[in-house]
Formats: sequence, C-alpha cells, structure tokens
Amino acid sequence: MNLTVKSRRLGTGTGVISLVGEVDVYSVPQAKQAMYELVDAGAHQLLIDLTATDYLDSTAMGALVGVMKKVAESGGWVRLVGPSPRIRRLFEITRLDRILPIFDSEEAALGDLSGKEGRA
Amino acid sequence: MKGDTKVELKIPSLPEFVAVARLAVAAIASRMDFPYDAVDDIKVAVGEACTNAIEHTAYSAPPGDEIIISCYLEQDALVIEVNDEGPGFDPQLCTEPDVLSEGGLGLILIQALMDEVELTSLAGQGTRVRMTKRLRPAPLTPAR
Repeated sequence: MNLTVKSRRLGTGTGVISLVGEVDVYSVPQAKQAMYELVDAGAHQLLIDLTATDYLDSTAMGALVGVMKKVAESGGWVRLVGPSPRIRRLFEITRLDRILPIFDSEEAALGDLSGKEGRA
Repeated sequence: MKGDTKVELKIPSLPEFVAVARLAVAAIASRMDFPYDAVDDIKVAVGEACTNAIEHTAYSAPPGDEIIISCYLEQDALVIEVNDEGPGFDPQLCTEPDVLSEGGLGLILIQALMDEVELTSLAGQGTRVRMTKRLRPAPLTPAR
C-alpha cells in the first residue's frame, strides 16, 4: 500500500483525515472508509490534511466531493489543508477549489471554530 | 533516447497496476529531459487515462483484461496512447461534468495537462486516448 490514512477528532463535531502518500483508484477506498467512519461517528466538519500527500487523482477528488455532499446535508463542510502547489493546481483546473476550500494550515482552516470547540 | 522509438506496456485492467503505468511513463519522460513539472503532468494524465480505461472495462471485460500503453518518443514530443478493450462509447454524448459531479474529472485533467488529446471510441471496439506532450526548447540566454 502506498497510502497511510490517519484520522483524529478535534472536539465534538470536527475530524481530521491525513492522507499520507498516494491517493489513486487503488487506494481511494481506504481513504473513503476513514472519512465515512468519522462522519458516521458524528464529525460533520472535516479537515482533509494533504500536507503529506504525494499524488492525488480524480477518483480521490470524486470521493472528496461525495463526502462533502454527505456532510452538507447536516450543515457540515469539508476543507482541504496544505496541498502541494501541484495538487492545488488540480483542484483549480477542475474548479473543485470553489466547493472544497483550500487553507495553508489547520489553524487557518478551523478559523473561528478553534476557540469554540477546544483542540483535542 | 530520442529518435522515434516506441515503448509498449501492457498492464492488467486492475486498479493496482495504474501506478505501474504512470511511473513507467514518467520515467520515459524524465529520460527525454522533460522538466519536472511536465513529467508530473504526464504522470497524472497517464494515471487518469488508465483509470478511465479500467472503468470502461469494469463491467464488460474479464477481470485482468489488458490495457495497452504505447509511448512514441519523437524528437520534440512524447505521444502516449492508452487503449482499452471495453465496449466503447460515443464521445459526442459526453457532457462536461458540473462542479458537484463525483466522476468525469479525469478527462478534464488530461485535456488541461497535455498539449493535444484525441479520444477515439467505437461501440464494440474499445477506447483509445492519444495524448501529446511537446518538449519545449530551453529559453535562450541573452548574449552578453
């Protein structure tokens, strides 16, 4: 496997998924499983940490759109953190950066939530 | 390594082999002296074309059927063809996905990252994506 998925909770309704390595048609089921496990456990605000993501393809983008639509049903969101310029460009080409906002750091992505929920 | 050489790679039509194809073609592009960013564009485009090929054949071909990746190393370009043995489709019927689509993004990426893209698909005869990335000459250094 070329992908390691780490997940953690930040307060009540927020979770972080870190995708370390390559997310492609082969490894994307692993990432989807981790994201939906967090959502099912009540995290409807998801940070996707891409700081250590080396490669990301359209199936991974599709999975992110899918989970974004799922959490949006309950007022949640998905935000991306720290992608490389190359990966950021792929989100810009596909215009997904309009619905999956990109931030440089976890703190910036959490914005006003960081003081309200408390950090784990 | 340049000079109208052809390199052909056959992979089983299975997700775990997409990385093999994209890394092999990226290695060819590196040897042709493409700059790093262009090698990365080629890697993504080949990955997307192979992923599409797997999706085309998922319900029609026996598991493990082949995808053929042909690389033509020309003097000033790398031409890559990805051929599958799926059922084929009418490219005219393809519509551009909206921003909330979970699929259909691969072709958008291929078209954005490569210099020329040609999609050929015929019912019963599979699909071929032909992609070209041109080698651009290094910028001239001003004379002193």
